[in-house]
Amino acid sequence: MKANKFLLAIFAAATLFVGCSDDDTADITINQNGGDNGNPVDPTDLTIGGTLSEDLVLAAGTEYTLTSALIVPDGFTLTVNPGAVIKATTGADVYVAVLQGGKIMAEGTSSNPIVFTSNSATPNAGDWGGLIILGKAPINSVTGGNATSTSEIGGLPYGGSAVNDNSGILRYVRIEYSGGAADASSENNGFSFYGVGNGTTIDFIQAFEGKDDGVEFFGGTVNASHISVVGAQDDSVDWTEGFTGTLTDVYIEHRQSHDKGIEGDGFNTDIGNNSSPIFWSSPSINNLTINGNGSTNENEAIRLRAGTRALFNNVLLSGFAEGFDLDDEDGENFTGEGVTNGDTGVTDISFEDVIVTLKNDTGATFDETTFFTGVGNGTGADYASWSGGWTRN
Amino acid sequence: MKHFFTLILFLSAVIAQAQNGTITGSLSDKEAAGQPLPFANILIKGTSKGTTSDFDGNYIINNVEPGTYTIEFSFVGYQSVEKTNIVVTAGNTTVVNQEMSAGALLDEVIVKTTVRKETEAALLLDQKKATTIKQSIGAQELARKGVSDAAAAVTKISGISKQEGGGGNVYVRGLGDRYLNTTYNGLSLPANNIEKKNMDLNLFSSDVIQNVGVSKTYAANFYGDFAAGNVDIVAKEYTGDFFLDVDLGTSINTNAVGSNFVKSEGTGFFGFYNRYQNDPYAVILSHGVDAIDANATTGLLGSISGGKSWDVGEESRLSVFATASFGNNYEFREGPAVDYTTVEKKRFPNSEEYEYSRNTTAMANIVYRINGDHKIKFNSLFINDATDQASYFGTKGLGINRDAILNTDKGFYQSNIQFEQDMIFVNQITGTNSINEKLKLDWGLGYNKVFARQPDRKRISVERYDLELDGDPNTNATFFSNIAFDNQRYFQNIEDDELNARINFNYEQSEDLSFNFGYNGRTKKRVFDNIRYGYDFIQPNTEVGDVRDLNGVFAPENIGTVFNTVVFNALDPANGLGNNNLPGRTENTYEGNLMVHGVFGEAVYQLNEKLSLVPGLRVELFDQDITYDVINLPPTDPGFREASEVFFLPSLNVKYALTEDQALRFSFSSTVSNPEFKEVAPFVYEDVTQRIGGNPDLLSDPAFSRIYNLDVKYEWFMERGEIFSIGAFAKAINDPVNLVVANDATGTQRFFRTGDRADVLGFELEARKGLLVDAEDENILSAGLNATYTYTTQDLKSSQGIFSTTFDRDSDQLQGASPLLLNADLSYSPTFGEYKPVANLVFSYFSDRIDALGSGQLGNIIEKGVPTIDFVWKNTINEHFEINASVKNLLNPTIERVREIDGGDIALSSYKRGLNLGLQLKYKF
Repeated sequence: MKANKFLLAIFAAATLFVGCSDDDTADITINQNGGDNGNPVDPTDLTIGGTLSEDLVLAAGTEYTLTSALIVPDGFTLTVNPGAVIKATTGADVYVAVLQGGKIMAEGTSSNPIVFTSNSATPNAGDWGGLIILGKAPINSVTGGNATSTSEIGGLPYGGSAVNDNSGILRYVRIEYSGGAADASSENNGFSFYGVGNGTTIDFIQAFEGKDDGVEFFGGTVNASHISVVGAQDDSVDWTEGFTGTLTDVYIEHRQSHDKGIEGDGFNTDIGNNSSPIFWSSPSINNLTINGNGSTNENEAIRLRAGTRALFNNVLLSGFAEGFDLDDEDGENFTGEGVTNGDTGVTDISFEDVIVTLKNDTGATFDETTFFTGVGNGTGADYASWSGGWTRN
Repeated sequence: MKHFFTLILFLSAVIAQAQNGTITGSLSDKEAAGQPLPFANILIKGTSKGTTSDFDGNYIINNVEPGTYTIEFSFVGYQSVEKTNIVVTAGNTTVVNQEMSAGALLDEVIVKTTVRKETEAALLLDQKKATTIKQSIGAQELARKGVSDAAAAVTKISGISKQEGGGGNVYVRGLGDRYLNTTYNGLSLPANNIEKKNMDLNLFSSDVIQNVGVSKTYAANFYGDFAAGNVDIVAKEYTGDFFLDVDLGTSINTNAVGSNFVKSEGTGFFGFYNRYQNDPYAVILSHGVDAIDANATTGLLGSISGGKSWDVGEESRLSVFATASFGNNYEFREGPAVDYTTVEKKRFPNSEEYEYSRNTTAMANIVYRINGDHKIKFNSLFINDATDQASYFGTKGLGINRDAILNTDKGFYQSNIQFEQDMIFVNQITGTNSINEKLKLDWGLGYNKVFARQPDRKRISVERYDLELDGDPNTNATFFSNIAFDNQRYFQNIEDDELNARINFNYEQSEDLSFNFGYNGRTKKRVFDNIRYGYDFIQPNTEVGDVRDLNGVFAPENIGTVFNTVVFNALDPANGLGNNNLPGRTENTYEGNLMVHGVFGEAVYQLNEKLSLVPGLRVELFDQDITYDVINLPPTDPGFREASEVFFLPSLNVKYALTEDQALRFSFSSTVSNPEFKEVAPFVYEDVTQRIGGNPDLLSDPAFSRIYNLDVKYEWFMERGEIFSIGAFAKAINDPVNLVVANDATGTQRFFRTGDRADVLGFELEARKGLLVDAEDENILSAGLNATYTYTTQDLKSSQGIFSTTFDRDSDQLQGASPLLLNADLSYSPTFGEYKPVANLVFSYFSDRIDALGSGQLGNIIEKGVPTIDFVWKNTINEHFEINASVKNLLNPTIERVREIDGGDIALSSYKRGLNLGLQLKYKF
């Protein structure tokens, strides 16, 4: 009988175990009054999304609702006519992606721009994904040839050897409230250019109030002009993975929440610079204005790191604690080497309300006179001359 | 090799010792066709000298003065035999073999010796008889070496090592988790952790183990998914009349004692969490984010176990064994935590981790022996494994985040407070039936259920923490909120269901030839889901205050004013129920199904006295599918993968007996390795410093690895459990799978078939030797040593698919393989009347091994070699009372993981675990 009592004791003990932690969790009651509820999606609206199986044309001056990822696959074209407005439902998985071989032909005008925005009545940064274009131009995270990498959002392939790959045209296109994050490392930008080739035309684009970066280049050779980034909460312009295009007329304006004006990496530091022969990001930036929130805030205008090269011409920086901050890892000199080789430097620059103009944390020794020439000569992007009609403020 | 020769010399020296004569021989059982007769008494009449036969029927009586003697052989139920005129001369051995037969007077008593497979001698006998290369460790040895769980147990076996601080990851011959299988009474045993294929063997306390065996060569009755070995845990059973043991103990960790130990809120003393039935959103509204004081740092453990048997009718017997135990443990670690790829992404020079674990085990075993021919057994096991972990990174304000917003040089701080609870239920019915003299049946049916849950993990990120520590009230730390999920609550659930069965027919054609044929199969289903709520601060750079007192900040009344909650999948966006400040739908889900059905046949053919052959063939049908709805995949992905294969798996095991005690073994087999659910499900788990996800392409290019295994071994079984063996093995693994960083912008590690082939070549050595014997010829000082040297290489290639990866080199070592593994122990067990102390010193060591292979330009992550010494001192005071003491981790080595880079190593984590001091009182009723 002893054994039976003992079995009973085990049972009793087991019951005790389960009953031992507390649960004082209150129930939730949701009272949803008016507000968002007054604006349900009407199925008769012009709703778009999904993977195209034929070319799609969005009509001029028409409002569309984007309810899921709109994918433009190889061989298909998405044409967007002037004045079309694409309103995205919320979620980082609601975005427009043009895959390798696909094309977007979005040509607005200065008075009738094309707008991608949030469909929320009270829109916020990060409401939806953004515009993603994936091309076949070189990236330095792979060994070359036709090897591809996959995008941060959507896991889509990009990269290759077609320097003059053509993904279409973006002209007078504004993206608002984009940048939803899928997780801590996967964030949408306003415009994400993945391995986009220089056969593509990018002229007059604006990223407005995005949660992450405004415009990001992951490798590629594309040139872009008349870029406006206003109120990006992370870096306004970002490049990495061997981006080698030229950016002309770039205007960046920080709002209350922001990170750097420009953050440039020479390669993707998660996987290394695997290119052979080796190359780094080395864009040229002509006519650049970055407006910060004043030098009393701990902020910096431009961070160059991980071996990037960059040639700046005609720059105006105002309202920053730091102007340029150049970084290398301990014991390395990839970024610094760019400066001493003459691959990185600034011609004609003006500083307004900037405390430290250059912070050199690279492995190389150089002074401001090597890095900057023509201090005081910078006039910036002359935003007023090209922003009228199509940008938001 | 120098050590090896020294060892042989040393062994030879110990063996040579003879002045008087020796009587030796073997006893056979006429009633069992001349099988060895163990446990029989052998007495030299007129002297006090005597012994009992071992499991092999062998006996030896040393140190007999020259003369002429009469020897008496006796055994219960058998006729005693006296042999006269046995002459012993100095320095010589007299051999006396004897066959014994059942006595006429006792023919109503049926005596069948059942070998209790928990003694070392019995298991060595098992190892000696086995046709595969198998090693086991039984309850007796576990107790002697003070081993508390199955994980520690298997590391006493050659070629096996355990990951330090890595949660019971076991490596067999350098091959890790994905190349091992674990079974329980020969039936499938589930894993408790999503990251694992095998059960954490730490969860099997030695109270529930009869023995643990590791088979390193393949036999046709194993599942085809076999590479390094199969670990089988046999549940303890009790067939005696009655016993009841109670023990109580306590333990302290030298690091944890005296620390301000904290744990997560809402978890019970026994490691249960009672909010699973609540919606996660209700949980985060009702409960805060702060850790709470654990109010203790001293571990407790207690267990009760008992057994009783009843005779039923003439020949049946019902036996019940049950045990329940609970233990908790406190561990505190501090040191750097770094995320380094090709650059330093995050560096926390100071981190503090508090780990509070609880383990409850209950097991019941009911054995009904219908008669000598039929036995049926029911086994039920429940394990609750719960761990609270509170981690603080960047505690001194010196943390660096390369992507911080306000200061990239210092002040980055993160905390992660989590709780994991794994509940495992295993229910089995097994049986053995002798249909007739020639045909025997062995079968089992099992159902397993696992709940592995991580409720309410809280992660907080802060910038400029240095300003909080500077004492200036005007400068304060702020929340880091690059994205809403930098500050988050996370909930994850996994549920597994598995049904499995085995049946084996053994047909004895003749004394020299028998056949095994049968079936085993399993179906397994896994369901996974998670959800995550981010805290999106409305004002940038919201100030923090005390980073360990944040419940006020995240209080529900601050929703919409200080922060909004964000969920990835909104509840009902079409009707206005959006992502903010509302409950949401699950973020990632997947369901995996596995089905394996195998039929097998093997012949056990004793060609002649020396040579036995066991050819076998298994034909296995394998089907695996996975359906997933996971965030951030290409929209073109079908969300489903399936693979079906038929495998033909031949095996051959050969044993050649050089002498009665020495044998050569040879084994060849072709097996496979199949991907795990976690390897194919593309869901990404985000840790503080790393991200790991699956790759569904593993099921398509190809869906499995073909493996060829070759083993040779020489073994010499000496007296009193002494053994010497040396072996070599080679394996070729086609299309091996490795965990490497995928080529994307997120640094996520995923599983890839990274090459065409991996090769493993190794040598093993095992020796066990008595060093001192007492007057009764029992070992009082003995030593054991086993060592494995492994050479591995694999070719590397880039791969493209749904995910891609690339390498900057053509080949490397295999992940998880330590070139050198060493285990050694020294045991001292004198006897002073009733007082029988046993002192053990157990040493183990593994050399540096690759923990994660580096892709792209990334260096490998290396787990640095760790030597460990444990001291265990058991004191049996009398037949009722035992006092045991232990000091574990005596060397207290630094546990370190590093990233290899040009010109040196970068330490990713580095800490000491501290010494564990334990005291246990045990009372036997």
